[in-house]
Amino acid sequence: MTMLLLLVPISVLLLGAAIGAFVWAVRGGQFDDLDTAPLQILADDPNPSDAD
Amino acid sequence: MNTAAGACFHCGEALPAQPPRMVVDDVPRDFCCPGCATAAQWIRDAGLAQYYTLRQSNPARSTESGDDFAEWLHPDIVSAHVQAVAGGLEITVAVRELRCAACAWLIDRFLVRLDASVDVSANAATSRVRLRWNPQRIALPVLLQQMAALGFAPTLAGSPAQQREEQRQHRRELLRLGVAGLGAMQAMMFAEALYLDTAGQMAPATRDFLRWTAVLLSTPVVFYAGWPFIAGLLRDLRRGALSMDLLAGSAILLAYAASLIETLRGGAHIWIDAAVMFVFLLLAARQLEAWARRRARARTEALAQAVPAFASREGSDGSTQRVPVTQVRAGDVLRVAAGEALPADGVLLDAPAALDESLLSGEALPQRREPGERVLAGSSCGDAPLRLRVSQAGAATQLAALVRLVDQAQAQRPQLARLADRVAAWFIGGLLAAAALTFVLWWPTDPTRAFEIMLAVLVVSCPCALSLAVPAALAAAQDSLARLGVLVLRADALDTLARVDVLLLDKTGTLTTSKSQLREVSLYSSHDRAQVLQLASALQAGATHPLAAAFAEAANEPLAVSDWRRVAGQGVQASFAGHSYRLGRAEFAVGGADDGAVWLGDGRKPFARFGIGQHLRADAAAMAQALRAQGVQLELASGDAAAAVAEIAEALGIAQFRARQSPPDKLARARELQAQGRVVAMLGDGINDAPVLAGANVSFAFAEGAVTTHRAADFLLTGSSLLRVPEAIAIARRTRRIVRQNLAWALAYNALALPFAAAGWIAPGLAALGMTTSSLLVVLNALRLRRVKT
Repeated sequence: MTMLLLLVPISVLLLGAAIGAFVWAVRGGQFDDLDTAPLQILADDPNPSDAD
Repeated sequence: MNTAAGACFHCGEALPAQPPRMVVDDVPRDFCCPGCATAAQWIRDAGLAQYYTLRQSNPARSTESGDDFAEWLHPDIVSAHVQAVAGGLEITVAVRELRCAACAWLIDRFLVRLDASVDVSANAATSRVRLRWNPQRIALPVLLQQMAALGFAPTLAGSPAQQREEQRQHRRELLRLGVAGLGAMQAMMFAEALYLDTAGQMAPATRDFLRWTAVLLSTPVVFYAGWPFIAGLLRDLRRGALSMDLLAGSAILLAYAASLIETLRGGAHIWIDAAVMFVFLLLAARQLEAWARRRARARTEALAQAVPAFASREGSDGSTQRVPVTQVRAGDVLRVAAGEALPADGVLLDAPAALDESLLSGEALPQRREPGERVLAGSSCGDAPLRLRVSQAGAATQLAALVRLVDQAQAQRPQLARLADRVAAWFIGGLLAAAALTFVLWWPTDPTRAFEIMLAVLVVSCPCALSLAVPAALAAAQDSLARLGVLVLRADALDTLARVDVLLLDKTGTLTTSKSQLREVSLYSSHDRAQVLQLASALQAGATHPLAAAFAEAANEPLAVSDWRRVAGQGVQASFAGHSYRLGRAEFAVGGADDGAVWLGDGRKPFARFGIGQHLRADAAAMAQALRAQGVQLELASGDAAAAVAEIAEALGIAQFRARQSPPDKLARARELQAQGRVVAMLGDGINDAPVLAGANVSFAFAEGAVTTHRAADFLLTGSSLLRVPEAIAIARRTRRIVRQNLAWALAYNALALPFAAAGWIAPGLAALGMTTSSLLVVLNALRLRRVKT
């Protein structure tokens, strides 16, 4: 059962990392508009040379 | 959405006889007007033609009108809406036509090409566009002009502070839900491990270690994610009120506090899983509902604004100046361009004008107003510009008064909701009393178990399934309705909608399209049909008469007429090939008595009579049939004349109809039906309908209609299909069935479990498990509503 002493803190740390990533994503506006982004993947830029 | 044949490729409107044509994606396409063709040409030349395959809704007809947006540089606007950001300035504008992701994509791509400093983020969910630009390299009016030229005319959005607050709130709610979900999952893992130790063989050190971890993990879930419930509990305690928050908050806090105490003293059980599960599930149900609501509101705000944001004010020296409408005062002289909405009430100057007052009065046809007559804010100017002297502005306008009327009607409504709250309060009060009684009764016999049993009662009886039964079903129903194009503005209206048995209809604009249509042509001379139509079309060509469009569609080759002259209030006359012709009312054109039709004659002799009718919406008949199949009676209440209303009623097989109905008449009719015990639904789109929309038990408005009607309506139809009404009723009835199943299950579960818990046969853990299973069942049952046939 001593393994728990290692595994449980690791799971708590992983949870902290997951929550941290989620907070970062929400603060960065990743969830503000869930409709436009899925479409942008379908749209190729027809003139890549124009991009600056 | 791909545009149908016979419609403009860009905006989807009907095509004229000889449409402008242009090749897009190697296929020749037709357009309704040069404006749309230009817009499409720009889109094509910019290499963005993919927009047409990606889009789901059409933009507005593009206009080449000369709005140069220079007034957006007005200091008042700049200080209220424009913010300085790193690298330039930022503004958020509302774009009514921005409805699908492809539109957002197009705006984004198109504006970014203008200048590299421009940064655009268009949000289809809220119909907002945020523009960031460098004022040294490009001017704001240029950007706005380009958007308008694409068919996406920008309007001023609400204040930036309000938008930022909304965004902050949205993010805060999302964070709460995320923290609750992640934290609850992890805390429950450890709680589960503790439960699996049924024989109590776990070493106390391991057990305490797991307990401490679970308590630690649940702390942010309870106090951060669960804060809305705790805040609700505190608010209830301060005000002495009883609500669901009181029960949820106290159960969460008790379970958490007891678990903490038991962990500290090494007691027999902890109940941390009950606390976190509670927080997460309740929060999820609440958020689903709140987000559906906010989405609906953001869309309605961006829709048609009855009063424009700017007005052209005439200075004392005769020059005009664009000023924000908030600066318009009584006594100012304003100019209104053709097609624009009037910014204030006033008196018409100079020349007669045709005004579309359909939003205010329900009259479908533009009304002719003579100089000196009163004109109202919110009505829109016909084909010619006009001048007016402002008599009332801002809150003093008739439009604002109607809005207040709606507010009053709305304030009377939620009696049923208040009753439900009171009943729920008694229920919760009863449960709290039962829990307290359990504790008091157990204390003398077994003080060690008294708390545990009380907690079990509280958890088991806490109407988690009960509280989820309704919101989960409502959220699922809202979701399927939204996919159909029906936005639910008031969630509890779904229940009323299921009971509806009378639908009051407003004819104007609801059952008919706004365009008038040439119904019948009777000939009285040697002229044939094509000739009289050609003549009528030529005579009408210069007129601002609303019926001109009806003729223009019927005839395709214009004739050149001379000596054209308009006779106020009567009609027009002109010469063609040496003959004089008159078109208009019967007494003017043919010397007969007025019969409501339009006559062509020479002043004495009639040549033709034109019956003008309104164009019934294509799906009106199908809607009437579907509603009758559902057992919903139809009734027409219109502001129009008796003949027109009777014609529509007959076409749809509606037995009950009333003509010349003013808003108070319609409201009185709705009240009369309600007094008979009927449940009245109302479908309307004009501001004149707003009081009835608010007074009816449940109401539908069109998103294209006036904003004031949105505020009064329970449901908003984003498309123009009338079939959505019977579909919404069907979903509402299914929702009611599922809500009943859920309530029956949850109540039966609570009623069964409560005595067992009070008798001490259910441990809090088991109670929590049973509660969760019960909750899961009702949620899954509710999710059946999301299956929708589209």
